[in-house]
Amino acid sequence: MARKPILAFAFVAPALLFLAATLVWPLVSAFVLSLQNVRGIGTSGQWVGLENYRFILTYAAFWESAGLSLVWVLANAIVQTLLALAAALILHQKFPGLRIARTWIILTWIVPTVVVVMIWRWLFSTSGGMINPLLIQLGILNRPMGFFATPESAFATLVFINSWRWFPFIALMMLAGLSRIPTELYEAARIDGASAFKRFTRITWPLLAPTLTVLLIIGTLLSFNVFDIIWLMTQGGPAGGTRTLPILIYETAFRSYRMSEAATIAVLATMLLMAFAVLATRSLARSGDER
Amino acid sequence: MRRGRSWNAVLVAGLLFFVALVGLPFWWVVSGSFKIPQEIIARVPTMFPQSFTLEHYQKLLSSSDYGTYLVNSLVVSSLSAFITLLLAIPAGYAFFRLEFKGRETYYRIILLAYAFPSIVVLIPLFGMFAKAGLVDTRTALVIVNVAFALPFAIWMLRSFFASIPKEIEEAARLDGGPPLTVLWRIMIPLTAPGIAAVAIFAFVTSWTEYVFASVMILSDARRTIPVGFSGIIGQYQVDWGLLLAGASLAILPVVIVFAFIGRWFVTGLTEGAVK
Amino acid sequence: MKIALRTLLATAMLGVPATAFADAVEITLWHMEQPPHRVERIQMLIDEFNAANPDIVVSQEPQNWGEIYAKAPAALAAGTGPDMLFAIPDFAPILKEMGALTSVEDFVAELDAEHNFVDSTVEAYSYDDGVWAVPLYNMTLNLWYRKSVLEEAGIDVPTSWDEWRTAAERLTTDGRFGMGLPANRQLYTDQTIYSIMVNGDASEIYNEDGSLRFDNDDTVAAYDFYNSMMEFSPPDATSWTWGEAEACFASASCGMIMQFTVISTYENQAEGDASDLGVAAIPTRDGSGDNATIAYANAVLLLSQEEAEREASQEFIRFLLQPENYGRFLNMEPGLFMPVTADGATADSFWSDPVVQEYRDQIETVIENGQNGKLFGFTSGRVFPAIASISAQNVLAETLQSVVVSDMEPADAVEAGQARMEDLSR
Repeated sequence: MARKPILAFAFVAPALLFLAATLVWPLVSAFVLSLQNVRGIGTSGQWVGLENYRFILTYAAFWESAGLSLVWVLANAIVQTLLALAAALILHQKFPGLRIARTWIILTWIVPTVVVVMIWRWLFSTSGGMINPLLIQLGILNRPMGFFATPESAFATLVFINSWRWFPFIALMMLAGLSRIPTELYEAARIDGASAFKRFTRITWPLLAPTLTVLLIIGTLLSFNVFDIIWLMTQGGPAGGTRTLPILIYETAFRSYRMSEAATIAVLATMLLMAFAVLATRSLARSGDER
Repeated sequence: MRRGRSWNAVLVAGLLFFVALVGLPFWWVVSGSFKIPQEIIARVPTMFPQSFTLEHYQKLLSSSDYGTYLVNSLVVSSLSAFITLLLAIPAGYAFFRLEFKGRETYYRIILLAYAFPSIVVLIPLFGMFAKAGLVDTRTALVIVNVAFALPFAIWMLRSFFASIPKEIEEAARLDGGPPLTVLWRIMIPLTAPGIAAVAIFAFVTSWTEYVFASVMILSDARRTIPVGFSGIIGQYQVDWGLLLAGASLAILPVVIVFAFIGRWFVTGLTEGAVK
Repeated sequence: MKIALRTLLATAMLGVPATAFADAVEITLWHMEQPPHRVERIQMLIDEFNAANPDIVVSQEPQNWGEIYAKAPAALAAGTGPDMLFAIPDFAPILKEMGALTSVEDFVAELDAEHNFVDSTVEAYSYDDGVWAVPLYNMTLNLWYRKSVLEEAGIDVPTSWDEWRTAAERLTTDGRFGMGLPANRQLYTDQTIYSIMVNGDASEIYNEDGSLRFDNDDTVAAYDFYNSMMEFSPPDATSWTWGEAEACFASASCGMIMQFTVISTYENQAEGDASDLGVAAIPTRDGSGDNATIAYANAVLLLSQEEAEREASQEFIRFLLQPENYGRFLNMEPGLFMPVTADGATADSFWSDPVVQEYRDQIETVIENGQNGKLFGFTSGRVFPAIASISAQNVLAETLQSVVVSDMEPADAVEAGQARMEDLSR
């Protein structure tokens, strides 16, 4: 089929060039910055070689943030997958109002993040917020709690908010995967007398797995990079409990005014993510599921 | 499919859970925006408004350029969606169908575009845009948003193309159509639902983007909804009523849009191509 | 529709001066007073100024505090920055380091001779042999309460830390917190903890030679006291900014709060009974009556390098500080922004605002409290560039969080805080 390489180039080049100009070039300049000692934006610096890398790799805050980022990605993956899978399985059933449910579940995803943050900030607050009174009425709490009061609860609350925003989108992607599974398979299994649980583990899950894997990879990259929700909500607090790597980068660049150190952290984070992405997509290609 | 009674109960419970999870926050926000200030911050909040006022909306509309923000957001998001499609459709098709050296490598590199914290490119991009005279223009926002939406768009489109039965395309090809014609005449119409879904994805990505829009845009007349909204938050006082009204109005346009095209998004995602 | 029309009109009006006065100097003002009514008030003054000065065209672009730390340096470095920027003292060293500031000492002296600045407001911008901005409006923290609530509980307005704690304890009842205090890693908490520090002999964080003296017994005592007050504050106070504190007070969920002002919230969202609203100076450690407070003297930074633009900017500032305009400028948020000049504090334009008239007693107290205002890192002329990162990173608040959230001993937390400051000064 390799008949028209020029044509293929014409098809692919615009997109590739666009991405190169907007993403690759800035990344290269971030790398260059990481080899210098620039402080504030617009100030100049000297070349310092790998000095920043030596410093950052021994910087406790960096490792704390890296650890938090890891937990953040894992927690989001688990919560979002569970919520999305449950929602997708429900939306895969037939019931009255299905079309409305399928359309409007996406509501949380189409709202600007700033608005999401404001909504939840209000709902979780102890003056006027709805969540505390609701939980007290339901008997879950006996007095108002500060959802952003401790590092742990703030972190968990943020995972909830971020998952709340993203799970419907993932649910629809899963639904897309589910609807590609031929219904004949289920009919056949039913005739063979397979239980609902068996049908799920033997048919649904294996056939959904490729979609899930790709979603998991992209989801991991996207949730690792979540910045706005965390920053607008807690600014990485309290006591650094939600300071993931993107927050640390922003803080280092625009609060401590150490552009070069921020760039170094960014380069390290990028290397980490690239390694993950390359390994993950390679294993995907090997299992032959990539489509 | 038939279901047992217990399954039905689980289904209904699950459905109610999700309705509450997604719906309640929005109900609280929208109903809150009609409450008088005293009721909004009352120690015991009310599930249903006990008061009714339009003062927050009046204040919002009379004193902020909400209409301007809305137009900006619509322009930026629509253009972003359009350009994303323009770049992603040929690329997605080429990655799916055309053979060329390094195809798999390039394809993977494109997905790697999500493998770095986007905050990193903020300052270099600002510098680039400044040199090109694009700071404080909507063009800058379109460029950024396309860059963020493009990789995923290409990935989705490729899988939509892949779901078209081979025979249809082969037949077209045997009729002697060059790839561009095949793409234009056969593939695009067949994947129309999927393309619509990708367009909506790009639109929403752009519609919700905040960080870049807040830094790249300097003047009020070119702000988008998220940035304009954050502007009414205020540093020393929080006027919850105004915020709730602002939130409601920021949600409203996409809700209206989705009322018309939301169906397409779901069918586009699930079916991808007309079979 | 109304908005579209407004936009159209605005565009049309903007178009006129540009053509009519082709050689008019155009200058841009950035500020973070983004709430619509403040923007409107500033626009009113700009319109008056532009009408009176046909050779100058001022325009404003409100910005957001959240992004300005990244945006202003980026824009200035790229040459797309404003000619004037309203900012707080922390911000000046950042731009000074970039080489974006030149001393305005002579200009400030000229204005001082005419209007007589409150000394502390100029002090916050005086260091490195220069004055780097022109003070414009002052903000000081005060203790706010309801007279009826204190009376009901049978307590007097506290003047010492011990009395204060007792009052907070007695005001804490079912459904009410005695004293709403934030413990967020955020500017508001920087302000509240520093207000305690200045009332406990811990106002200086630097020695004269630029070495840090944050880690001392007085600082530790201030943190210790603050921590002991936290049990009378709502559980979500670790995520509070100004707005939450005000909402807590307005809904009567908080007995007392420390805040610049609560007047407009109290007026619009609560009882609005001026005779019941109490304001006092922040209590001192020993109740000596020698009260101090944190003062945030907002100022205007002159950023254009061109002589004509600088001259035009100065003309605009002269205009704003004229007593007949100055009060209207401050009252863009009645009760929040206090005068930095002596003739501003007596100006009719300031006192004639209906809200200001209604709360005259409170505002007089606030102005009086502001006479002994200080700002951490900007005291006694001991200003060093690292203060910008120390305050941008909210190290004072961060240290408080170590005590309140992570249960560190105050002495250890303050020691760690000083180490953090040293790291940022690297």
